[in-house]
Amino acid sequence: MTLLRASVRHLRRHPGQAGLSLLGIALGVAVVVSVDLSSASARRAFALSAEAVTGRATHQVVGGPRGLDERVLVQLSREAGIHPLAPVVEGWVSVQGAPGRTLRLLGVDPFSEAPFRPYLGRGAAGIPTIGTLVTEPGTVLVSSETAAELGVGMSATLVLRVAGRARPVRVIGLIEPGGARSRQALAGLVVADLATAQELLDRPGRLSHVDLAIPSGSHGEQLLARVRAALPPGAEVVPAAARSEFVGALTRAFDVNLTALSLLALVVGLFLAYNTMTLSVVQRRATIGMLRALGVTRAEIVAVVLAEAFLLGVVATALGLGLGVALAGGLLRLVTRTINDLYFVVVVRELALSPAVLAKGAALGIGATLLAALVPAAEAATAPVGDAIRRIVLEARARRAAPRAAAAGLAVLATGGLVVAGAGRSLALSYAGLFALILGAALLTPLAMVGAATAAGAALGRLFGLPGRLAARGVLSTVSRTGVAVAALMVAVAATVGVGVMIRSFRATVVRWLETSLVADVYVAAPTIRGGRGGESTLDPDVVARLRAAPGVAAVGTYRGARVTSPSGSTQLVALGIGPASYRQFRFLAGSPETVWPAFQEGGAAIVSEPYAYRHRLTVGAPLRLRTDRGERAFPIVGVFADYGSDQGVVMVSRRTYEAYWDDPGVSSLGLVLAPGSDADLVVQQLRARAGESQDLLIRSNRALREASLEIFDRTFAITAVLRVLATAVAVIGVLSALMALQLERARELGVLRAQGLMPREVWRLVLTQTSLLGGIAGGLAVPVGIGLALVLIHVINRRAFGWSIETTVPADVLVQAVGLAILAALAAGVYPAWRMARTPPAPALREE
Amino acid sequence: MKPGPGVRLLAPVLLAVAGVGAGLGLVIRLDAQRSARPTLDATLSVAEAFGAGSAEGFARALTPRPFAFPADHGPHPAFRSEWWYWTGNLREAGGSGRRFGFQLTFFRVALAPAAAPRRSAWGTRDVYMAHLALTDVASGRFHARDRWARAALDLAGASAEPFRVWLGDWRAEGGGRSGPPVRLRAGEEDVRIDLTLGPGKAPVLHGERGLSRKSAEAGNASYYYSLTRMPVSGEVQSAGRSFAVEGLAWMDREWSTSALAPDQVGWDWFALQLDDRRELMLYRLRQRDGGVAAASQGTLVTADGATRTLDRDAVEVLVLDRWTSPRGGTRYPARWRLRIPAEGLDLLVTPLLADQELDVAARYWEGAVGVEGTGDGRPVRGAGYVELVGYAARARGPAEAVRQ
Repeated sequence: MTLLRASVRHLRRHPGQAGLSLLGIALGVAVVVSVDLSSASARRAFALSAEAVTGRATHQVVGGPRGLDERVLVQLSREAGIHPLAPVVEGWVSVQGAPGRTLRLLGVDPFSEAPFRPYLGRGAAGIPTIGTLVTEPGTVLVSSETAAELGVGMSATLVLRVAGRARPVRVIGLIEPGGARSRQALAGLVVADLATAQELLDRPGRLSHVDLAIPSGSHGEQLLARVRAALPPGAEVVPAAARSEFVGALTRAFDVNLTALSLLALVVGLFLAYNTMTLSVVQRRATIGMLRALGVTRAEIVAVVLAEAFLLGVVATALGLGLGVALAGGLLRLVTRTINDLYFVVVVRELALSPAVLAKGAALGIGATLLAALVPAAEAATAPVGDAIRRIVLEARARRAAPRAAAAGLAVLATGGLVVAGAGRSLALSYAGLFALILGAALLTPLAMVGAATAAGAALGRLFGLPGRLAARGVLSTVSRTGVAVAALMVAVAATVGVGVMIRSFRATVVRWLETSLVADVYVAAPTIRGGRGGESTLDPDVVARLRAAPGVAAVGTYRGARVTSPSGSTQLVALGIGPASYRQFRFLAGSPETVWPAFQEGGAAIVSEPYAYRHRLTVGAPLRLRTDRGERAFPIVGVFADYGSDQGVVMVSRRTYEAYWDDPGVSSLGLVLAPGSDADLVVQQLRARAGESQDLLIRSNRALREASLEIFDRTFAITAVLRVLATAVAVIGVLSALMALQLERARELGVLRAQGLMPREVWRLVLTQTSLLGGIAGGLAVPVGIGLALVLIHVINRRAFGWSIETTVPADVLVQAVGLAILAALAAGVYPAWRMARTPPAPALREE
Repeated sequence: MKPGPGVRLLAPVLLAVAGVGAGLGLVIRLDAQRSARPTLDATLSVAEAFGAGSAEGFARALTPRPFAFPADHGPHPAFRSEWWYWTGNLREAGGSGRRFGFQLTFFRVALAPAAAPRRSAWGTRDVYMAHLALTDVASGRFHARDRWARAALDLAGASAEPFRVWLGDWRAEGGGRSGPPVRLRAGEEDVRIDLTLGPGKAPVLHGERGLSRKSAEAGNASYYYSLTRMPVSGEVQSAGRSFAVEGLAWMDREWSTSALAPDQVGWDWFALQLDDRRELMLYRLRQRDGGVAAASQGTLVTADGATRTLDRDAVEVLVLDRWTSPRGGTRYPARWRLRIPAEGLDLLVTPLLADQELDVAARYWEGAVGVEGTGDGRPVRGAGYVELVGYAARARGPAEAVRQ
C-alpha cells in the first residue's frame, strides 16, 4: 500500500509526463477501436440488410446480367413442383428531394413470402393492404423510420429515382420493426409487389433471383438436383450465403489494410508506454534502491511497477475507448463512402457499438501497456540495494547495449524480410513481416544515435561552440532514455514516409493510366448508385440513338458492365463496342496488341485486367469459364491489361461476343469521339439538350471524367491519410513527453553549467540543439526506413491485396516534410524546458536534488 | 542460483493478460449469442384496412340463374370468390381395407373488381389458395398443406373447357368435354394424391335452383352445386408408402361475393354419403349469440338423384362430444347426432380421427367422418366430411384469410 502511494505521488509530481503518455496510449487505442468499430458497423449494416432481403432462403436461383427470366419460376413451380419458392426483384433507388439517400427496393410476391420473410408474409393473412399492394400499380410499404426520416406519412407520394428516371410511388403501409435489430435491418427498405418493382425498375419479365428453402441431407440434395434439371442454361442455383460471402471477400483486403494501419498507431503508443515506464523507473532508481535496503523484495518492486503500468493502461484505455467511439463516427463516413465507391452499396445509419470490438480494444490497450512495462519492471528489480547506480554507469551500459540491440535489430530485419518474401499470397503474414521490419529498424536506432551524435559533436561544436558540443555529448549521455523516444518518432515518421510514397506512387500510376485509357472526348452514362463500373442502370435506347446521330460526333464506343458468375465466383464483365481508333487505350502486360485485337473483336476471346489475372491465377492462353445465357462457356484469354478501376478486376469481351452469348441489348455508357476541331464543353451542352428529359444523364467531358475518377481515388485514400496523421500525432505526443521529461530532469546539470557561467541564451541554444539533433536523427533514419516501407507496401502488400503493379515514385516533398516534421516535433518538445531552465536562477536548480 | 526477476514477474503479467483475454472471450461469446437471435420481426400499420364488405364492383348472387355445364365448372370472375372443393373417403383396394380421407380445395379470391392494366405480367387481381389434407386412419396421421399463388404467368388459374384448376403442380384436370372424369394430383414431400373421379350422379343444385342464401339480406348468397357421389380410384402416398385406393368423393362448387352476415361467426358443414345411395348436405350458420341462423339449409339427394331442400328446423343436430385442439386450444364439436324426422333419418356422425384441424393460414377443422344409424327403420351406414369454420381465433374461413 505504502509502495503504491509512493507511485501515485511520483505520478503526481510528474503530471505532464504521465498525462502525455496517457494521451499517447489513449490515442493508439482510439485509432484501433475506431477503425475496428467503423468497419464492423459497415459489415453489420450490410449483413443485416442482406438478412432482411435473404430471410430464411437457403439457396437462390440466379441468372445472367439481366437477372432471371420470370418463366423460370413457372417452370420450377408447375413442372418441377418445387415448393416453397419466392421470386424477388430488387434494386437500388434514390429519392427525389433527398440527395445522397439510397433505398433498397424489394419486390416480392406476398403470397410466397411466409416461408422466407415472415416479417413480410406471416401467411399473407397478416397484411391487410395486400390487396392494394398487389392490384394497385405504384404502391409501396416503407419502414416507419425511413418514412419519418424522409418526412412522408401514410398515403403520401414519394418520388423515387431509378437510373435517372422519376418514379412516383404511394406509401400505403408502414413496416414497424419489432426491435433494434429489425429496425436496423429494415432501415432504408421499400417493399413493393413484384409487378410494381418490375415496373419501377424497368425490368418487365425479369427476376433478380428466386429464393429456395432446401432442407439439408439427402432429401435436399434430391430437391436441388430437380431444381437444376429444370433450369435453362443461363440460370444456376447458388447458396444464399454465397452473395454475402462474396461481398465479405470483396472488402477483406480493404479491412486488413485498415486494421494494419490502425495497429501501427498502437505500436507507436506501445513505444510510448515503454518509454514512460522506463523513465519513471530510471528517475526513481535511488528511491527503489532505498526501498530495497528497507527490506522491500524484488517481487514487490516488480509488482509496483506493473501495478503502475496497469493503472496507466486502464486509464489510458478508458480514455481511448471513449475517444475511439467519438472518432469512429467520423471514420464510419469515410469507410462507408469508400465501400460505396469501390465495392457495393451499403447504407450505414448508425455506429454499432459492438461489445466485442470494445473488449478487444481494451484488452489490446491494457495488455500492450503491461507488456511494455515488462522490461522496465525487470530493470527496476535489478536495482542494487542501498544506493542507486550512478547514471554515468547506466549510460555507459546503455551505450554498450546499443550494438547488441543493433545486432538483434539486424536479426529481426532479416527475419522480417524472409517472412515478407515467403508470405506467398497471405496478407496477414506480409503485414507481420512488415511489422518485424519496422521493429528491426527501431532496434537499430540507438546505435545509429550513438554514431550520429559522435559524428555531429565536432560539427556542432564548430557551429555553436560549447552548447553545440554539450548538446551532442548530451545525446550520447542519455541514450538509455532518449533511445526509445527517438525510435518511436522514427517509426511514426517512417510510416508517414512509407504510406505517403505509396499513395503518391499509386496516384501517379493512376493518372498515367487515366490519360491513356480515357480516349473518347465525351462520356455519357446513366446515374448509378454504386460508383465505379457497371451498375444495373442502362441508357434508354432512344437516347443512345439520338446521341449517335448528334452533330460533331465522329465515333461512338459502347460499354456495358454486367455481373456474371464463373466457377470461382462473381465476375465483373464488360462488353466493349469500340473501333480500332480506341485500341490504344489499353496497355497490355501480356499478349501483343497485334494478335489481341482480331481475336477479341472477331474470335470470341476475352481480355482480363491485371488484378483479375492475379486473383484467379490466369494468364494468356488460359481458358476463362463464365456462365452465359447459353450455359457455361470457356473464353480464351488473349491479353492481360493494366487497369486500376477495380481491385476485383474485370473481364472484357467485345460487344459482338457479348451479344452472341448473353441476351442483353443494354448499354451502360457511351464514349463519344468528336470530330476534329470540336469543343468538348460545347458539345456536352448540345448533347444535354439533345438527350431530352426522359432520363437524367451524366454527360462528362474527358477532363471532367478524369477529375471525377481522381476525386474517387483521393476519397479512397482519405481514410489512410487520416490514420497516418493520427499515428504521427501519437508519436509527436510521445516525443514531447519523453524529451520534456528528460530535459526537466537535467535541471541540476544545467544549474551547474549556469553556475559556471552559461548564459540563459546559451541554455536555450543547448536544449534546442539537443532536441533538434534527436529529431534530426529520427527524421534522417525515417527516410531510408520509410522508403523501404513504401517499397514493401507497393510491391508486396498492394500486389498481394489488390494485384496491382505500381510504378514507384519518391516525391522529394514527402521526404522533406517528414524530416521537417521530426525536427519540428523535437524542437517543440524543447521549448518549455528551455524556457523554464533559462528562467531559473542557478542556485534553486542546484538545490532541487 | 536464485530465479531471475524475469521469471517471477512473468507470472503476474501473464495472469493479467490471461484475465483480460478471458473477459474478452466471454464478451465475444455473449455477443455472438445475442446476434444469433433467430429472425427479424416487424408488424405493419396501414392506411386503410381492406373492407370486408366492399362488394362494390362485383356481381352478386341475387336471383336464381340457369346453370350450364361444363361452363359453370370453370371460373366466375365477376364474383369475388369461389371454390372447387373435393373431399372423399377411400379404402385400400383389395388388401387391408385401410381407410383414408382426402381433401383438395382450390379457392379463387379477387382482390379488386377489375385488374389495372400493367406492364408486368405479375399484375393481377386474382389470388388462388389451395389446401390438401390426407387422413391416414390406420396410422392416426393427418397431413395438411396449403399453397398460395397469384393468377399470373400460369402459376395458378382455372378454365372450363378443357376443365382445369391448378396452383403450381397441384391440379385438377377434366378428361371429358363436360368435366369428369377429373384427375386430381397434388402432393408435397411424403403426402401425395393421384385420384381419378368419375361423374357419378348428375350435378345437384342447392337452395333455390342453385341460389344458396346465407342470410336474410339480399346478395348474401352464393351459387352452389355439388357432385355428390363420384366414384374414385387411384393412389395415395402417406408416410413414404403408396396405396392403391378406391372410394367415393364429393365435389362442392360455390361462388359468391358476400355470404356471411356481420352477426355470423362461422359454419358447420356436413356432406354425408349413405350406403342406401342417398346423400345429405347440411350447413349450419352459427351466430355470434350462439344460435343457428334461419338461413341454414340442407339438401337431401335421393337414390335416383332427386333433391329435397331441408330448412333449418327440419334437422335436429345434437353435439355429443367436443375436442380441444393442441394448437391454440380451440374447442370444436366432435360427434353429432343428426335427426331428420321427415326423411326417417337418425344418424350418428363420428370423426375418423379427432385431430383433423388444418393448421394453415386460416385454421379450421375439416375431416373424414363415419356415419351409422337408421334410415326408415333400417340400419344405414356411410361416410362423409364435416367442415367446422370460425372456431379458431385466426380468420373466419379459408376464403376470408386471403382478404384479411
